[in-house]
Amino acid sequence: MKVSLFITCLNDAVYPRVGEAMVRLLARHGVRLDFPKVQTCCGQPAFNSGYWDEARAAAATILEAFDDSDFVIAPSGSCAYMIHHYSQLFRHDPGLLAKAEELQRKTYEFTQFFVQVLGVTDLGAFFPHRVTYHPSCHGSRLLGVKEEPMALLNGVKGLELVPLPFAEDCCGFGGTFAVKMADISGAMVMEKTDHVKETAAEVLVGLDMACLMNIAGNLRHRNEPVRVMHLAELLYEGVTGVMKR
Amino acid sequence: MSGTTQPVGSTAAGTTVKERAELALNDEFLRKAVKFTTERLRGGKLKASEEHGNWDDWRERGRQIRLHTIAHLDYYLNLFADNARANGVHVHFAHTAAEAVKLSLAIAERNDAKSVVKSKSMVTEELHLNHALESIGVEAVETDLGEYIIQLAGETPSHIIIPAIHKNRYQIAALLSAEAGETLAPDTTVLAGFVRKKLREKFLEADIGMTGCNFAIAETGSMVLFENEGNARMVTTVPKTQITLMGMERIIPSWSDLEVMATLLPRSATGQKLTVYMSGITGPRRAADADGPEEMHIIIVDNGRSNQLGDPEFQELLNCIRCGACLNACPVYRHIGGHAYGGTYSGPIGAVLTPALQKNVAEWDDIANASSLCGACYEACPVKIPLHDMLVYLRRRKVEAGHGSKLESLGMKGFATVMGSAGRFGGVLKLGKLGQKLVVRGGVIRTKLGPLKGWNTYRVAPSLPKQSFRDTWATLEEEIRVGLRETAPDVKQRLEAVIRERKQKEGGSLHG
Amino acid sequence: MAETGMGSHRDWLAQLESESRAKQQAFMDGIATKLGRPRVTSAPAHPFRGAPDFWNGFEWPLEERIERFTDNFKSVGGHVERLADMEAVKRFIAAKAVELKARYAVRQNQPELAAIGLEEAMPEVRFAVWNTDREEHWMARAAEADIGVMLVDHAAAYTGSLAVLSSKDTGRSVSLLPTVLIAVVPIERLHTRLGEILVPFDEAGREALPAGIHFISGPSRSADIENDLTIGVHGPGIVYALLVG
Repeated sequence: MKVSLFITCLNDAVYPRVGEAMVRLLARHGVRLDFPKVQTCCGQPAFNSGYWDEARAAAATILEAFDDSDFVIAPSGSCAYMIHHYSQLFRHDPGLLAKAEELQRKTYEFTQFFVQVLGVTDLGAFFPHRVTYHPSCHGSRLLGVKEEPMALLNGVKGLELVPLPFAEDCCGFGGTFAVKMADISGAMVMEKTDHVKETAAEVLVGLDMACLMNIAGNLRHRNEPVRVMHLAELLYEGVTGVMKR
Repeated sequence: MSGTTQPVGSTAAGTTVKERAELALNDEFLRKAVKFTTERLRGGKLKASEEHGNWDDWRERGRQIRLHTIAHLDYYLNLFADNARANGVHVHFAHTAAEAVKLSLAIAERNDAKSVVKSKSMVTEELHLNHALESIGVEAVETDLGEYIIQLAGETPSHIIIPAIHKNRYQIAALLSAEAGETLAPDTTVLAGFVRKKLREKFLEADIGMTGCNFAIAETGSMVLFENEGNARMVTTVPKTQITLMGMERIIPSWSDLEVMATLLPRSATGQKLTVYMSGITGPRRAADADGPEEMHIIIVDNGRSNQLGDPEFQELLNCIRCGACLNACPVYRHIGGHAYGGTYSGPIGAVLTPALQKNVAEWDDIANASSLCGACYEACPVKIPLHDMLVYLRRRKVEAGHGSKLESLGMKGFATVMGSAGRFGGVLKLGKLGQKLVVRGGVIRTKLGPLKGWNTYRVAPSLPKQSFRDTWATLEEEIRVGLRETAPDVKQRLEAVIRERKQKEGGSLHG
Repeated sequence: MAETGMGSHRDWLAQLESESRAKQQAFMDGIATKLGRPRVTSAPAHPFRGAPDFWNGFEWPLEERIERFTDNFKSVGGHVERLADMEAVKRFIAAKAVELKARYAVRQNQPELAAIGLEEAMPEVRFAVWNTDREEHWMARAAEADIGVMLVDHAAAYTGSLAVLSSKDTGRSVSLLPTVLIAVVPIERLHTRLGEILVPFDEAGREALPAGIHFISGPSRSADIENDLTIGVHGPGIVYALLVG
């Protein structure tokens, strides 16, 4: 049985603590994760910009990395959903196409794996804070991960979950969009953090570090003291009682 | 240079979407008005679709009807044309905008028309028909309240459903006062009252009524209009001659199918259970009737639509029922408004439709880049058009045709080189950690130099941690191994069951 | 262009028609070619015709239809009255004419309306009966009318809609041009769903359809000026539905 971690390039490079929290949480629930080091990036930045040859170069490392895995788990709904595009990317290569389709079937976003596969919603976490949740677009809309994070958050003792107004609105990240259309993206993230402020939450939690990097970057830019966390981090802190600020 | 899509009379200066967006972002009234309107419509839609229930089943039904019709468009369009003709309608076909304009003008001239009253039609906007009519001395009067306002302002619609979304009541009062020759108070009732009176005169004296078409029913040759004001009914009841311009894809097979469209369109557009008026017009007035047009023309327009046929990536674009729900759901539209899109159609549908209707890839604007690909448009779409995917296809086609940005192409080459190998990726991370020492302050990067300018104008950038995940893995794995040598037996059982289920599904889908 | 006036208007239309028929073939052939298959010339199987099955069986009992219609029609600014018989309809309309100080009225030439003697009940109102004189300019009569009176062909409770069909005796203008519209709805014509009204048009077939079929769901409205709701922009701003029986 091979259960593999699809760390995603952003978490690998910038937010290793998210991967660490995931590995440790899963270990507590009896799952030994494996980390195939040939993986780099799912290819989404190039794919979304229209550079599919370049996307294939990155995606090939993912196909190779998880070729013999039984389950693949990612701390990002967006990168997990990118796998669904592989059947388009590799449509002209029957061998790779079959691998792509197989990979799509065995890939799970982190909360999906906990709730759908392990059937666990209560991790025994305690996190006595006012928290609001931003559902990232690709994870919630395209991959359909809506109930799972709610179930996990509801399982956390002491946590006060406050609804985020217009939660489903995009934070304005959109990969290269944030650079190419910086002013539009900027207006969108400002609107998002305005809504976060309205909740008076101490913590903003989500499932995708790209969006959270965007929101956190704007909160910090505006000197707003809201703590931004991936749900895996929050749950891990909640079960280990490590309360750092 | 992308000026070819710029319609005459558009208010948005600037040649790129970025420049036009910048103008919009600095227009506080516009942003507030667009935000308020789209939130109202979006909220109405959500409420109406929830109240109706089984919304996804209805969407799927709508999608299937549209897919089926477009897949057999030659059959249904032909049937429609034959039936409309049998009803006494003069049916015409126009491959291009120029042909459609020529036909419309010929009909106007033949009927010695001095004035045309129009109800809202996006196709006529596409053709810039008002200007063409004016060029031969025929007055063209828009009669939808919002359209009338922007016509007086010499502008183009900025929203499919609420065309004057960008105008406030003071601006509107000024425009209407000039028309009235007296000062009208900036009061909605007063202003609308003036328009009612003024346009009544126009309706009664007009020679031709011109409409668009929401749906055309193939089996009976009927055309269907949805509206709230009653102006489309005026246009199809009062003048002697009626000209309807319809996109060739507006077809549905039957009145039974209309029930599905009537369920989806008003709810998606405004949150109404049905628009105030839904009219099915089947031919000109009957011999004994005392009202309705004596002569009725329907001009079926291609103008780039058939480019989508047989294109697996874009054919579904023809399923669009022009409800505007994607505009109301779109966070980009909310911030920049319709004119920033620079074409007849705005919002997510416009970003895809405008380039799709024109075949020339080189002239495509950078409008496809003005999206975060959040998928809100897809989720809002009553016939489930995957607009977010289509935006990616447009980007890809531009790149494939060699029209991508040089700088970006270079960047993406670099991306492929680095991400094509874990070794190189690891190497780059090490370099990054060295390089960032110059710019990291307090754990974050605030410099606005180079590529970070756009990002850091609104945010700070995170710094790279001392160790990447791959650097820490060996230690982490060792630590975990102490407590858990391998996946626990009960978990393993559970996982095996999931795998079996997966295999079963896979087998099933191969046979089904 | 004046020289093209050589032939009659009819000749010109005939010429356009022959051009149109030729172009029609090219148009359809072009579509088939683009779709990559031969022309489809016989009706294709349409497995998704009309509303979903679960919907087609749905029907409210009469009292609920009345209640729902009333709620829906009122919610968009329409007025609804429940009246016992046509005699009550006459009294209601006569009283309304006095209340509104109506001077002109127009009604459809329908036997049910003729039978109750509306005109006699309101001697102070100049009543026009649609299309009873070929020489009259009927649209002008409807346009000057303060009140238009008609018996509807159908109504749908689920959407709060009235449906009227045009004919020699029932003008489209009567429901459109007057300031106030009074629609008489015999309750046996009140259905639950729109489909109950629409599907029979298919069954009746092209030749049985009138030139104008109009669904009316409340007073004319617009929100084009700053989202501020305006009633009576072009069509009647006051609409009464009188449910009779």
